[in-house]
Amino acid sequence: MDLLRLGTYTFSSRLILGTGKFSSTSAMIEAVRASGTQLVTVALRRFNREQAEDDLFGPLSEIEGLTLMPNTSGAATASEAVKAAHISRELSGSPFIKVEIHPNPHHLMPDPIETYEACKILAAEGFIVMPYIPADPVLAKRLEEVGCSSVMPLGSAIGSGQGLSTAEMVKIIIRESNIPVIVDAGLRSPSEACAAMEMGCEAVLVNSAVAVARDPAAMASAFAKAVEAGFEARNAGLMPRSSAAVATSPLTSFLGGAS
Amino acid sequence: MSTIGIILNGERREIPAGATVADLLCIADAGRQPVAVVVNENIVRPDQRDSCILQDEDQVEILVFAGGG
Repeated sequence: MDLLRLGTYTFSSRLILGTGKFSSTSAMIEAVRASGTQLVTVALRRFNREQAEDDLFGPLSEIEGLTLMPNTSGAATASEAVKAAHISRELSGSPFIKVEIHPNPHHLMPDPIETYEACKILAAEGFIVMPYIPADPVLAKRLEEVGCSSVMPLGSAIGSGQGLSTAEMVKIIIRESNIPVIVDAGLRSPSEACAAMEMGCEAVLVNSAVAVARDPAAMASAFAKAVEAGFEARNAGLMPRSSAAVATSPLTSFLGGAS
Repeated sequence: MSTIGIILNGERREIPAGATVADLLCIADAGRQPVAVVVNENIVRPDQRDSCILQDEDQVEILVFAGGG
């Protein structure tokens, strides 16, 4: 079986699920189970006694074989992201960190300079660093060089559901990378996840599309199938495109004309 | 009983003088799930919480994992 390799970890599932925006913890847990994911993102938040049931550590730790990937959401600078990473590792015990630094709440585009600086520090400290980045092949290569375990270019803006609008740039990143490329953010439908996998992504990260679906567990299952289908199709070898028709049946002439 | 003032998760709070981080977690009802504790920017690990005595004006953050993408 082809496994997804991230740092020293291997995963049979290539769907990474975000845990935000679900209507309830139980809906989120159902979706995680239905997706078969082995890696989920979580975010640090201040403890609030009135919302103690929102703490996800307990419910997620009951799912066997699940690894947590805390994110640094809320960080606007490299130093804030590094601080969040240290706190998250203390709490999760997981070496994974999704570096997510977006200073502008209106577009949530990742800051490439602060992201690079944070990744350099965290990779040197032994984290399995998974940066959320603009679909920039130069930045992706620089992040590979400082020891990131993957790069996660955005398909489109976080939560926008605009799909793979960066497809051509993501293809370049895939062609140039020696580490897994994972599309993160913007995917709306399983067909887009499938397309990302066919294109050569090693995994996809989905959150909003599952969380806000009418039936999150069913959508999670649909994404899991699409990711598998795309990966299998890629390995099977997609046929070349042709500008002209190429017949699939023998065009013999026995039906036409008198013999 | 004398008290000290700390900033807990951004809000001022009076706690007994001499209280440890472990005491604070009980007072704040935060002892029932895993939490991260940061005092004045320093992480206080679980094995340090019984011996870490809080001081007047300490900035304390108690953090948990919530949903996020």
